[in-house]
Formats: sequence, C-alpha cells, structure tokens
Amino acid sequence: MAAIEANALTKSYGQTLALENLSFEVREGEVFGFLGPNGAGKSTTINILLDFIRPTAGEVSVLEMDAQAQSRDIRQRTGVLPEGFETYDRLTGRQHLEFALDSKNADDDPDELVERVGIADAIDKKAGGYSKGMSQRLMLAMALIGEPDLLILDEPSTGLDPNGAREMREIVLEEADRGATIFFSSHIMEQVEAVCDRVGILREGEMVAIDTVEGLRDSVSGGTTLRVSVDRIDNGVVNEIRALPEVSSIRTDESPPSLIVECNGSKTTVLNEIEEQGLEVKDFQTKEASLDEVFRSYTTEARV
Amino acid sequence: MSSVNPGSVRAIAKKDFQDAVRSWLFWGLSVFFFFIIVGLGALVGYLEDEFSTEALISILSQSTRLIIPVIAIVLGWKAIAGERESGSIKVLLSLPHSRRDVILGKLLGRSAVLTVSLVIGFLLAGAVVGIMIGSFAIGDFLGLLAISIIYGIAYTSIAVSISSLTRSTTVAAAAGFFVFALFYIIWNIMIIGLDMLRMQGYISGVEYTFTANGNRFQTERLPDWALFINNIDPGNAFANALTLTTEASGLEGAGMVQDRAFADGIPFFLQDWFSFVVLLLWIVLPVVVALLWFDRTDL
Repeated sequence: MAAIEANALTKSYGQTLALENLSFEVREGEVFGFLGPNGAGKSTTINILLDFIRPTAGEVSVLEMDAQAQSRDIRQRTGVLPEGFETYDRLTGRQHLEFALDSKNADDDPDELVERVGIADAIDKKAGGYSKGMSQRLMLAMALIGEPDLLILDEPSTGLDPNGAREMREIVLEEADRGATIFFSSHIMEQVEAVCDRVGILREGEMVAIDTVEGLRDSVSGGTTLRVSVDRIDNGVVNEIRALPEVSSIRTDESPPSLIVECNGSKTTVLNEIEEQGLEVKDFQTKEASLDEVFRSYTTEARV
Repeated sequence: MSSVNPGSVRAIAKKDFQDAVRSWLFWGLSVFFFFIIVGLGALVGYLEDEFSTEALISILSQSTRLIIPVIAIVLGWKAIAGERESGSIKVLLSLPHSRRDVILGKLLGRSAVLTVSLVIGFLLAGAVVGIMIGSFAIGDFLGLLAISIIYGIAYTSIAVSISSLTRSTTVAAAAGFFVFALFYIIWNIMIIGLDMLRMQGYISGVEYTFTANGNRFQTERLPDWALFINNIDPGNAFANALTLTTEASGLEGAGMVQDRAFADGIPFFLQDWFSFVVLLLWIVLPVVVALLWFDRTDL
C-alpha cells in the first residue's frame, strides 16, 4: 500500500515551472528521504501534499485519500513539521500543544511531548522567546500528537545544532519503529543517509533518481573505487580487466605499482580476475562513493 | 470545496482569542478610546448643568460610531494576512482544519476579543460617568452596548475578510482603512452629491408637504433608492438601529428618513428595524466572500 502517491504533478507559477510531471510513490511504513538542493521543488511538493497549494496538473493521494478533496482527513492522521513556519509569539509552548490536541481530538500529555523533544523547561514560556531550534522542537512535538500514520517533515534539522539533529533522527527512527511512514525532505545528504530506507532526488522540479541508499551508490559511475597493490603493471592484464562488465574504468599507478579500478559490481570478481591473469595482489583498499558525491552527481553535474 | 467543522472552528477561535487578546496595540487603542469617551462625558457634564444620560448616550454613540471601526480594523487586518506573511498559518493548517474553519474561527475569536473590550470599556465608562452624575439610565446604556457590539462585529467581519484576500498585511491595512474612509468621507460626499443632483434636476426627487407651526410647507426629498444607499453605510445602520434600543431623544429623527416625508408610509427597507438587517448583511457578506475566496487560493 502506498502512503503517498504522486501522479504527473505539475505546478507552474506563470511562466515558471516549479514542478514538472513529478511522479513517485512512498510505501507504507518506510522512511523516505526527499532530497534536493534548495529551490528544487521539495517544499512545493509538500505544500501540495498538505493542500497548502493546488497543483496545476496531476493528482496526489496521501494515505489513499485525495490530497485536495480529503485534506482534513489526511491531516487528521498526519503529523507535519512544515518549512518556513512561525509559532505564535504571544502563546506559550503549552498553549500551542493544547491547541494542537484540541484540533486533533487527542489526549497526549503536553509535558511528555516536550520532554521527548527536549524543551521541557520552556513549556510555559512564550514561544516569541524561543530560538529557531526550540520552535522547531515545539512544532515537532505538535506533529507527534496522536500517533500519526504519516509524518511529513520539511527540512526538520533547520536551526538545530548537530546534537539536536541527532535527536531529531532518533525520534524519526522511533516513529518508524512504531510503524509510521516518514516522508522527510532535506538538502543535506548525510541526514537522509542515516535514517532513510529509500531516497528520491529532486532536481529542478523533476525526480532524477529514486532508490535505496545502496542502490543510489551503485547507480553512480564509480560507485566503488578499488585500489589494488600488485607486484607489477602489465598492460595486457589492464586491458583484460577493463573488459570486465563490472569495471567502468581503470587507471594505473607506478609507485607502488597499483591498479585503480572504478567498479560497479562485485569487487571479488575483479580481484579474482587480477590474480587469474597472473598478477600478485599484495594489498587492496576500497573506497565507497559518499552519498554526498552521489547527490552532487545527480544534482549538479550533467548526467549521461 | 472544504467543509466546516464546528469543533475546528471552536479550537481556532479559542486559540485566536488567546493570541489576539494579548495584543498590546489592541489594548493600547482600547484604553486610549476609553479615555476619550470618559473625557467627553466629563466635558459634557462640566459644560451642561442638567447632565443627562441621554446626552451621554448621544455623545457616546457619536464617538463609538467612529472608534469601533478603527479598533475592529486594527484587530482584524492581520488576522489572516499576518499569519500568511509570518508562516504561522502553516501551523494552523498542518492541523486538521479547513480553510473555512480558519475564516470562521478567526471571525469568532476576534469578535470575542472586541466584545470583551467593549464590555469592559462601557462598564468602566458607565461607572465613571455614573459616579460623576449620580444617576444613570442603565437600559439605554445596555442598548448602546448591544448595538455597538453588532456594529463592531460587522467591521470585524469586513476586516477579517479583507485580511483573507491578500498575502500582504500592508495591503490589508490599507484596504481596511480605505473601507473606513469610504463610509466616513466618500459615502457622505456621495449623498451630498446625490442631493445636489436632485436640486439640479438630474435626479427626480419626491415631493411632500408637511405642517409646522401651523404652516404648510412643500418640499422635496431624495428618492427611496438614494436614501437606501445612505442607509447601507454601517455607521448609519448603527445610528438607525440605536433609535430602537435606546430611548434617548436627539437620536430620533436624526437620519434622513422621516415619517412626514412619506405620504404612503416608509418602505420596509428604509425603516429603522431594517438597519439590523443591514448590519447583519455586513457581518455575513464579507465572510461569504472570504469563505469562497480563501478556499481556492494558494497559501
């Protein structure tokens, strides 16, 4: 079952296309990372999911309900941490939570909620005095109310220090363990890497890749770099290795003699082939492409 | 099309009341005008030997007619545009509320705040003036308070509606005060203009005769439709409605519609009771516009 299903979404503002024919699916129970540089259309997509804005064309269903026609029912079962929100300066944290509890007909304990997001000591202070990070935590607490089936978190780490970002990830994982589906957007790959089952990369309003973290790594040429120290360099062998389907490119290095293989498949196959060709493998190192590089390759470089 | 959920409306109204009631600008204005009213009362009491509640009501009604729109517009112009500008509307609409719940909740919440301030202000002013002059016609006073509240809600509805039509609080404030100026300046000029057109013969007036001091006079008045335009002004509706809820003379016959000018009786839409309908329409129509518009727009 799909928690979110977007079908050929297009959103244009006059001549500017914010989203172009965007389709994707988020499965029930998964943690889905929605990744893209600023301005790629992440918030536009999320705003459509929540019916803050209406698509120019296409359809979205959330929790198997139409995002426009049944928005209230969707939001009853969804916790949201929106981007670019502001809390009510004149109301305390507790008043915010009571409003959310009222709104959702839920009966969670406000004190437990703030305890969980780490602002217990500020609950009776006016939100006007909160830092950005504290507002972010308060909004997260509001989002957690009533054990939502879906959590939509738009750039949840905004304003959080590294410690806060880690706590945010822990809460995300706890909620996922509870069985909630989590859809969270970010422009920073490493935040997504640690928690997401699958990642979709958005670029200029189009989904350019959607896969598991490993799948994305493998899909980028040079998924793994294998550096093999050998006893000598043999051009014949180099050509044999280059011909392997697992190998996308190979370079050599003279001192110490080594082969640097960009490898998409099984590293063992490559190492075995080197030995079979009569070279002695003295040592080898692998270096996996960081997801950051993967992300960069999808969002900045021209892809072939 | 979104639905309306009473529970949501109540939750939003409660939150909005808690929020708006803590606005310093609002309380500053209220206190300021409270002192104006008490000051005026004191002045009249000082100038007139026979100071009566009637005179006080008359003065109060004149000043509240002017003051209430200002307070209501200041209270309402940020209601929705302000939340869109700051992004707090995302907090509101992340929760299971429809856009229509938001409009209705806002109108309820802000109307409640205005009502609280009017009740407090009137009771304080009444107490101060009552102590000053010794006696006090409580019925007239409560009548004025009741009509003031309805009048205030009408302007709150106008302000909240305007606030839902734009993303910019600056535009909302400008439009709010334009409406205020429309009825206080442009409307009066327009009626004077219509009367001048009648005198020039561009608009055919209605002739009537009346007797005063034993003499018969023949004169002419504006036709019914022009008088109705005059009565559409919420301020005039407020003044006309007051004649029904207070006994205070001086309000009686102050409007342009007078019994003697209507040989066949005053048509229903010019009668004083119809000003309640006008005030009611000023509450309902702006909200309907807001409900329809805000439901469709992108945040």
